[in-house]
Amino acid sequence: MSSTTETRAALPARPRASGWARLPLWLRRVILLAVIVGLWQAYVRWSEFGGNDLLFASPVDTARAFWDGWRDGSLARATWETMRLLLIGVGIGALIAALFTLFASLSQIGEDILLLLTAILNPLPGVAVLPLALLWFGLSNKAIIFAIANATIWPIAINLTTGFKTVNPTIVAAGRNIGLKGVRLVTDVLAPAALPSAISGLKTAWAFGWRTVVAAELVFGVVGGEGGLGTYINNAKLYLFTAQMFAALLSIAVLGVAFELLFGVLERRTIVRWGMQRS
Amino acid sequence: MSSLTHTAVLRAEHVQLGYWTPDGFMLAVQDATFSVAPREKAIVIGPSGCGKSTLLKAVAGFIRPTAGRIEVAGREKLEPGPDRAVVFQEFDQLFPWRSVLDNVAYPLRINGWKRRDALERAREFIELTSLSPAADRYPHQLSGGMKQRVAIARALALDPAMLLMDEPFGSLDMLTRARLQQELNGIIERTQTTLLLVTHSMDEALTVGDKVVVLAGAPSTVTEVVDVADVGPPDSPRYAETHAHLRDLLGVTHDELKELDVVND
Repeated sequence: MSSTTETRAALPARPRASGWARLPLWLRRVILLAVIVGLWQAYVRWSEFGGNDLLFASPVDTARAFWDGWRDGSLARATWETMRLLLIGVGIGALIAALFTLFASLSQIGEDILLLLTAILNPLPGVAVLPLALLWFGLSNKAIIFAIANATIWPIAINLTTGFKTVNPTIVAAGRNIGLKGVRLVTDVLAPAALPSAISGLKTAWAFGWRTVVAAELVFGVVGGEGGLGTYINNAKLYLFTAQMFAALLSIAVLGVAFELLFGVLERRTIVRWGMQRS
Repeated sequence: MSSLTHTAVLRAEHVQLGYWTPDGFMLAVQDATFSVAPREKAIVIGPSGCGKSTLLKAVAGFIRPTAGRIEVAGREKLEPGPDRAVVFQEFDQLFPWRSVLDNVAYPLRINGWKRRDALERAREFIELTSLSPAADRYPHQLSGGMKQRVAIARALALDPAMLLMDEPFGSLDMLTRARLQQELNGIIERTQTTLLLVTHSMDEALTVGDKVVVLAGAPSTVTEVVDVADVGPPDSPRYAETHAHLRDLLGVTHDELKELDVVND
């Protein structure tokens, strides 16, 4: 390879993509989004709902409600409250899951217990335990946090356990060979080697947690302290502020996308960069 | 055949090794006795499944002999440790989340080296294994041959009492394998490290080794220890002679060896 031009000349022609596929991804997404919003606006304008903003909010109304809600702080407070519950719940869930995994990787009986509990509790939808949680914790945030933690422990524990069990034995042998043992071997070799599984468990747990927290708040209506997004939607429904309901849904969607991006950044900086997972 | 001397780095006496399978206990090595002197390059050779890797694992401390004793630098009851640094056959023995430099420096750090000294020494051994341009890359960005070089650098930087290598070039293509065998000779010449290398390639044994411990039979025994320090280059008569002798000891014809793909000619 003596010169760039030579190299370039030797390359075969890149296969031609059709018009749409040649556009960059972000542009394709923006265009599709614009079309969807346009259809939405057209539907509200010309369908039987026509002008009945009590039943169906237009994109413009939704955007206004979203803007107002964030500016006067009501939607921001509700979003933050939901996020707070979610973070606490997932945090507690992850901690318990880590302890379970530790127990399971140290003893056969621990593993058996974890597998049995997971088989029973993982298929339960997060909100299903809410009535019980209400019974135990009363009409409070504690009940919601309990439901979130329960929804997140199992996917994290399953993934972590699988991750630890499937760590390549050569790398563990290499770790022991250079003098690592006990806790150090776990933190310095097993944990990073199991990181792809840990992240995928956390992603699943986060998604489960989202569903649970919003559903739980909807069931509750108003609970002690500030209401979250579920409560916000419920209240908006009571007063037929339809655009506010749409705005709250939009907040949930935006946060969902934001966290998806955040996890993406985390993956690119770690496991993708280290070749432990393809991008 | 060299005798068991006081100065030996490694002494294996009537070592018996086996492992559990679903069908029960399988005896792999019946009786292995040999020793390795300081700065000696000892090769353990034998057909597939003769227990040579099991023997190396026992020296590394991953498994215990069921009978006999293994002594390294006067110590028995061996646990895995950096005084017997291992280069494995598998390419994925490196830590994928650490750069090449870090893969070499990190084992030094956990063995009490200060950060700056560890990095300096790591750079030295990366230089020695011709890896300097790749120092900041991650393992998944390296070829198989480069990964094995990193593993060699990592092991040698620890200044082990002996370097253990388990078919380190077994997964490489023939050209890379031949080049790395030559490079290994040069590197060991510089570091003066005592070597125990397991292989099924007679050419590798003759190119790298000072002496060859022949394991044969199932369960296997050490049938002979052959001095190969002065066999010369592959085209010399002494080389061909020793090659033929090893072949006889392993109890297989040359054609069979070719079929089993254990000869790289």
